[in-house]
This record gives sequence, C-alpha cells and structure tokens, in this order.
Amino acid sequence: MNPSDFNRFDEPTRRRFISNAARLYLGVNLLPMFGSSVASAAPEKAAKGTAKSVIYLYMSGGMSHLDTFDPKPKKKEVMGPTEAISTSATDVMVGKYLPKTSEVMDKVCVINSLTSQQGAHEQGTYVMHTSYDMRGTVKHPTLGAWVLKLGGRLNPEIPGYVAIDSSQENSGGGFFGAKYAAAPIGSPNDGLQDSTKPSGISQEDFDRRLSLADRLNKQFHGRYQNADVKAYEELYQEAIRLMNSKDLKAFNINDEGASTRAMYGSGRFAQGCMLARRLVEHGVRFVEVQLGGWDTHYDNFAGVEGRCKEFDQAYAGLISDLEKRGLLKDTLVVVATEFGRTPTIKTEHKDGRDHHPAAFSCLLAGGGVKGGFKYGETDAKGERVKENPVTVQDFNATIAHALGLPHDLIVMSPSGRPFKFADQGKPVAEVFV
Amino acid sequence: MKRCIGGIAASLIATAAICHAADAPAPGDDPVFIAKAARAIDGHVASWYRKQKLPVPAVTDDATFLRRTFLVAIGRIPTAEEARFFLEIDDATKRVQLIDYLMQSPGYSSNMTNWVFDLLRVTDGKPGFNGSFEAYRDWVRTAMEQNMPWDDFTNSLLSSRGDGWDPKTAAVGYYTRDRGMPLDNLANSMRVFLGSRMECAQCHDDPFGDTERHDFYELAAFTEGQGALNQGYMSKLWDELGEEDRRRSLDYDVAQVMWDRVYGLSLAGTGAGHIKLPDDYQYRDGEPGQLIGAKTPFGKSVRISEKSDKGHGREELAEWVTTKTGEQFASVAANRMWKRVMGRGVYEPVDEFKPAKELHHPELMNMLNKLMVDLDYDLRGFQKILLNTKTFQFVPNPEPSKVLTGDDFHGRQLTRLSAEQLWDSLITLASGDPDKTPRRSLDDRIYVSNKPVLVGKKNMPQLSKEVLALKSEEEVRAYFTTFLADVRKERGGSDNDGGGGMMMENKIHRYGNDSPVRASELPSPAPRQHLLYLFGQSDRLVVDGASREPNVGQVLSLMNGYVQKQLVNNSGASLYKSLDGAGTDEEKVRRLYITILSRPPSPEEMGWMLDEIKASGEDGYRNIVSALVMSSEFLFLQ
Repeated sequence: MNPSDFNRFDEPTRRRFISNAARLYLGVNLLPMFGSSVASAAPEKAAKGTAKSVIYLYMSGGMSHLDTFDPKPKKKEVMGPTEAISTSATDVMVGKYLPKTSEVMDKVCVINSLTSQQGAHEQGTYVMHTSYDMRGTVKHPTLGAWVLKLGGRLNPEIPGYVAIDSSQENSGGGFFGAKYAAAPIGSPNDGLQDSTKPSGISQEDFDRRLSLADRLNKQFHGRYQNADVKAYEELYQEAIRLMNSKDLKAFNINDEGASTRAMYGSGRFAQGCMLARRLVEHGVRFVEVQLGGWDTHYDNFAGVEGRCKEFDQAYAGLISDLEKRGLLKDTLVVVATEFGRTPTIKTEHKDGRDHHPAAFSCLLAGGGVKGGFKYGETDAKGERVKENPVTVQDFNATIAHALGLPHDLIVMSPSGRPFKFADQGKPVAEVFV
Repeated sequence: MKRCIGGIAASLIATAAICHAADAPAPGDDPVFIAKAARAIDGHVASWYRKQKLPVPAVTDDATFLRRTFLVAIGRIPTAEEARFFLEIDDATKRVQLIDYLMQSPGYSSNMTNWVFDLLRVTDGKPGFNGSFEAYRDWVRTAMEQNMPWDDFTNSLLSSRGDGWDPKTAAVGYYTRDRGMPLDNLANSMRVFLGSRMECAQCHDDPFGDTERHDFYELAAFTEGQGALNQGYMSKLWDELGEEDRRRSLDYDVAQVMWDRVYGLSLAGTGAGHIKLPDDYQYRDGEPGQLIGAKTPFGKSVRISEKSDKGHGREELAEWVTTKTGEQFASVAANRMWKRVMGRGVYEPVDEFKPAKELHHPELMNMLNKLMVDLDYDLRGFQKILLNTKTFQFVPNPEPSKVLTGDDFHGRQLTRLSAEQLWDSLITLASGDPDKTPRRSLDDRIYVSNKPVLVGKKNMPQLSKEVLALKSEEEVRAYFTTFLADVRKERGGSDNDGGGGMMMENKIHRYGNDSPVRASELPSPAPRQHLLYLFGQSDRLVVDGASREPNVGQVLSLMNGYVQKQLVNNSGASLYKSLDGAGTDEEKVRRLYITILSRPPSPEEMGWMLDEIKASGEDGYRNIVSALVMSSEFLFLQ
C-alpha cells in the first residue's frame, strides 16, 4: 500500500470524528453542566489534529533514563560504564547502547522531565496506560480505548486497537466495555486469532453455514427487536468483511520483504514493530507493542545493554520505514515506560539501579511533533526535574492533542462518575511543530 | 445457622424469625413453604399489574422454561437426555420437579461460584505476588457447595484472621487478596454487602452523596492493621537470602515458600479500632496524622474509642454489617438474588441500596427482605422460591425496561449468555454433562520452583501451622534449615517428585486451561486466549467486572475457533451421540435441535434443514450444527 492509499482514510476520519464528537456532546454521556463549553471548544481542537494513528511502544519494567535518553556525561559516578554518544540531532545525546537510534534522533522529540507518583510496576503501568491511579472499584479505559471512543476507527474493516505482546490488564476497554478493548496478538508471527476459515472446510460449506445461521438469526431478530441481537447480526457481517478484507493481510508480517526485515532486525520486538507499521498502514488507529525486562535492579548495565539490543534497531528501523513510506507525518510513535531508575548505583547489587518515578524520559516522534527536540530538563544527576515538569497526565493529554481528540471531555462511567482521557493533564504545546 | 432470636433486621420489618424443631425441614427445603412464598410473590406482582391497569403476562412454554431454568439455576443448557426427558413427560408438577433437581445438582454451586468469584474478585494469583490464593479460592468454592448462609459467609470474611491455609481461617484471603490497598478493600465490602458506595470518600468528601472522608476513615478504623502474622521473625533471614548472588539458589526458593506462601497469606491482628488520618487530610474536622476511633456511619451505632486497645474491630464490623444495619443487609442480598433469577434487580443498580419505602413496589421488597431473614439467608432456598414463581416463568420480554430504576416485571429480558454460561454450554455439547466431572480440589502441595515437594510427607496446611507457631528468629532459622535439608535430600535422591506421594496426588483434581470442565474449575481468571476471556469473563480486578458486550473476536471464534474445532468438526463430540438410532432425516434434525436449542424445530425450520441435507448430504448435519450454535438463539437467554 502506498501513501496515497493511506490518505483515503483521511476524510471519512474527520467526518466520523466530528459525528462521534457530536454524539458525545449531545448524548447522555456528557455531564450536562459542562456540555456547552466543551462542545464549543472541541471541534476547533479536532481540526488541529496532527496525527492519525499512534504506535505506542511500551518499555515494561522501568527503562533507565540515564543509560538511554537522559545521559549525564559529566557525572561519572551517576553514569558508571555508560558513555553518551552524539546523535543526528544537535544537543541530543543518547547512551552508547543505542547507535542506530542515534541516527534517527533528528526525527525524535525527547521529553526528559516526566514525573510520576507511582513507584511500583503495577500502579505505574496502570497510570501510564489510563491516566488514573488504580482503584479496586473502577476499571479505567486504556489510551487505545479512549482513542476509539472519542475518535472512532479509521478503517471499518479491521480492528481499531491492537495490542501486541501486551498484558490483559493494560489493553482493556475498562468501563467502555469489550468493544473498545484491543484485539490481542500474542505472537506477531501468528497474527489475529481465528481470523481464517478452519482448515478442511470448503468455501461452499462455510457459506452454507453462514447463510443458514443468517436465516435463523433473521427469524430470531424478527421476534425480538433487541439491540444486542442486532449487534451480533452486524458483527457477523463485520467478521466476514474482516476475513475477506484485503487488509487482513495487515496482520501477516510474513509478507514483508527481506530488505524491510533487515531494517528492523530479527527479534520479537522488531517483528512487533514491523507488524505495528503494517497495521497503521492499513488504518489501525492505536497499536501497542511491549518490550519487557527493563527492571534492572541487578546488574543494570548488562541489563540495559541487552534491552537496547532488542530496542535499538527495531525502533530506528520503524522510524526510518515510516518516514520512507510517508507515514511518519501522520503517525505518532511513542516510547513510554512506568518510571526511570535511580542515579545511585547499588554496588551491592552488582551495580543495579532501583525504581525512580521522580524523573524519567519518554519519546515522541512523527505525527506533527518536532524532531531533534528536547523538552524539559533534570538536574545534574538526573534525580529531580529542574525545568518544565511533565506529569503522566500531561504526557497522555499530549497524545490526545496530537490526534485532535478532546483530552478534557468528560465522559461518565456507567456507575455515574466523571472521567477524561488525561484526567487533569494539559498537553505540552511546545513539542508540536 | 438457626437464629432463634430475630436480629435487628427481623424486628425492623416486624417479623419474628421462626424457630424450627430439629426434625422439621428448614424452610428452604420445605415444599409447602416454598410454594406458599412463591404464590405470595406472584400476588404482589399481580397487584402491581392491576394498579398499572396492565394485563398479567402469560406463562412461557415448556421448552423456553426448560432452557431458561437450566441456564439460570445451573449455568448451562440441558443435555440431550435431560431436554428430551423433560419435554416428553406429561406431568403437571414437572416444572417444580425440574427446579428441585437442578437446585440439588452440583451445577448449582458451580454457577454460584462464578457469581461470587466476580463479586469478591477471587483470583488464583496476582501480579507481583509470589504465591497463590488457592486455599481462599477453595474456601469460597466450598462455602458455595455447602450453601453456607449468606450472613455467616459475610461474617466469616469480614471478621477473618489467622492462618491462610487452615480451612477454618482461609477466609483471610478476603483481606490478603488486597494487601497494600485496605481502603479499596473496605469500599468494596460496603458496596458488595450493604450496597453503600463509599469509594469516593477514600480521597475526598463525596460530591454526589453524603459520605465524608472522615466517615470513611472512621469505618476503616475497624479493619486497620492487616499485616502478616509473625513475619518479622523471618525478615533478617529473608534479606540475607535476597542478596542477588543467592537469588537463584534452592535456599531462596525454599525460603520463598515460607515468606510469601505462609507468612504472606496470613492475617495478623483483629482490627485495631483506630486509625490515623492520612497526610493529605484536607478538612477542618481533623488533622493529618491524627488518631481517630472507629465509628459506623449509619444503622445502629458501634464505636471504638481511639484510646481503647481492645481491638476486635473486624468482628465488630462484621456483626454490624450483618445485624445492625436495619433492612439493608437483607435487602441487598435479596435484590442480588432477584437479579440473578429475574434478570434485573427490583431496584437497580443492585449495589446501591434503596429502602423499600422508596421503591415502586415497597410491599414486594418488604416481603423479600422478610423472606431472606426467615430463610436464615439460605440463598439456595431463596432462589428456589423465585424460580417457582409465575413471575420467573413469564414469556420472554424483548423490550427494554420501561421503569429505569428497576424491574417492571414484563418478563425476563433477553440477555446474552455470560461468558461462563456460554462456555459451560459448549462443553456440554462437546463432552456431555460436565457435572459428572469432579470439581477442582484444593491443591495443598508444597511447590518449590514450580514443582511439588515432600508430597505425602507434608502439605501446606501442616507447614503453615508449624511455621506460624514459631516464636523467635532462632526458631525460624532452625526450622528453615531443616525444611531446606528435607527438600534438598529429596532433590538429591531422585528427579521425580517423591514416589510416596502418588497416592495423595491422585486425590487432587486440577484442570488446565483447555480442559472441558466448568468455568468455575478453570484458572481464575481464564487466560487471554481463552474463549471465556473473549466473551467477557471478568478479570476479577473490580467488583462484577464481567462484560456481555459483543465484539468481533467473539464472532470470529464462533465461526472459526473453538466451536468449529471442538463441536462441528469433532466426530467424537457428545452432541453427535444424540443421532444414534435416529432412523430418518427428520428425526436427526429434531434431535440436533433439541440437543442444541432445547426445542423441536418449527415446520418451516424443518423444511430449511431438510433442504440443507438434500443439498449437502452427510456434511449437511455439520452445517446444521454449525448454524445452530452460531445462531443468536443459542447465544441469548430468553
């Protein structure tokens, strides 16, 4: 598929977005007292969206900011064996384990001033994915679910939200329901579960079954004018559309040529990134790919080096590939993690680093974000945010803003409580071109 | 539990609980009592119709009744034999008999287990916790099996303390499951048992309700202090073993059994009765860090002074919840049961209590509250009465409710099967009656590095009892040394897990993810690639988190996944046995209909199906099976 195919999703998207927005504003989901002010503000924001899709790369376990995107070359006692290398962006340095990434930093915006209250993995991961703290009493929708709820799908034939190697807890629809949950992919090589006809059944039998079921369903639906019954009837059509869709091939990375594979490298994460690109190319709106193992309490430097080996080429390959295909301008590529790691090196743990939520780094690239740009700053040791702090909620609001979605629109949960895409967060306007 | 003196709930709704002689059946087992109560409920519903000047709906036909009652009472469709037997016999009392049969079947407790696992968020494990809630899960499962009265059940959970592996105290899992988040646990307790929503007040005064943050902390004081028993004796040893170079050693794995799976599952204290206000306390009625005493927010007031050291706050709280909150405790339980049977609560949402006098049907609700108390909180008896009503047996109602806040009794509304009902029905088609398979039993083996050890010599309850009885650091070290030596000796001896244990192992029934067993016996929650997940099983992180929302993955799975592989294309599937001995095509089609949809086909449908067989030959039967299972009629409860 070439870039002009991609653009065909452009107009319907905008129209769909506006009609979705209208439905939300006019519908019962809105907190009535805020309705009018939000409604007047939002369409303007919608028009300003700079990205259509998001590829959200999640570094699970807490990626060391110091050894990757916030090195402090002057502080040997903080850096240990990690050296900083220069990059294709002036003023931006990265850890030495990221040679390929250093070559694409002119397309990347580094945010060095992330700060979070959550120092435990589960809570930290949860707030990154939902903008809210964990509660035993409500399950918040994840970012992908919010994007679908507020923005709708780009391609009606295939799922709008896909999670690769992700966990159940962090790719759900929350109180929006399963409809907004990610289509899960356990193995990038295998694609989407049950999306092809079972072997050993002829197309004729398959069609006969469906038309027989359809006849029964029509009869049943004639008896019961029920919305959910209707929904299943429609879902059969959607599923068949998906099975017959030429876009189903988006899920099949085995179609990629050798030169593309070479760009990404061969690891599981690399394949996930390659799949993410294919999906976005075919109009999937939000794709998450996880890379775990960043919890480097013990032997941090060997650990980070190992993770960077998985990450470096895959990420650089993804950015270059998107760029080459003209997709980068419409695709926001996010690198996120739950927290950074301590400047203090624990020698008793073979030079380990512990959790450090007070200051850490995340990346944005493409989708209207400035390349070769650094936002926010930590102190000399990388311990505290010195300038322009960005909360987790601000970060998520920035993602919503890039998509032209109203981050401050109030949506009521079924239990009648008000929630927003990014809670109290405000978008960081400076990162946009 | 027999309550001879009516509790406060009973006296408030002006009844004396009835004392039964030892040999008389409990009301929940007494057919006369049940029939009378069912008639009384129908009387209230009929009078509501008269008041609204509406006709009373008709009672549904046998086939709809059959399928509905199976799914509601035991959570699966009938087997072919069960369906044929019921549909073919001609007996005026067959509906009553069917209800009796189902409520005595093991399927009843399996079905209730799914419900209570969702309500209490019972899971096998949790991320970041190196142990399992096996003993607690089994405690809850057993309570459902024994039909433990709901007030006793509630009391056991809320007042629990002690050893997580002792069957008498394994209810501590209710608290240890939420270790580290006691306030969320408490907010859930109030919601689940009393229908009071207080979660907002954890952090601030509730802007929509009238609960203040101060009230919430006063309530939390009852449960304060939820540490592990005696774990301090092991801290030093654990720290030493936690040094990284020893982490991969057998020493560490063995110590983990003691640290996480014995100490980590135990619950110390009895509830302090006082608590400190949090550091960010923002209102004038208290200072951050101030110690405040326990006080209940409504009902008959119970207090513990902040100066008192008497403790036992959790017992006080449990007593208050079950006996000192007026009609509230009984009403929430009765309404939850009404929703299970009728599809919607008398008032909705079911976790927001409303006093009977504020409802559309105060007389009905008063009667249900009284009934719940008269039955001594026998949930099975209560549901049996509801199943025997005409109200349950009304013809299906395709329309959404006209009364937003509750049931308008226009018959059971059409709802998609829950994930568990669907799974349990599919395995019935694939493998026959699943209730003949023994339920998952308590796995009390000691696991070291995921392998059972010392099987037949020692189990977790014994280990737990011994470890929790240790009274000093020295004793813990000595015990650990012996325990480690025992494990090491066994490891050194041979690679298998101790031949002496085979006998014991035979008693343990555990089922893998793909086993054709009831959802209640599978891992909780089922893993992500499982059909249960796809159809919206709760991940049991929040109360009642299940979803019945349609999505495209479900339909793909029906078309191409489990249904096709295990039912349609599996000649060994139990459903095909129903064809044995059927002489004609008509008879075969009829049997497939009864097996899958629990009813005979209409003449029109028979025509379609015979056409299909004419066109496709033997393959036609597979196509029919496939179409029937994919049909909305299969997916929906009428």
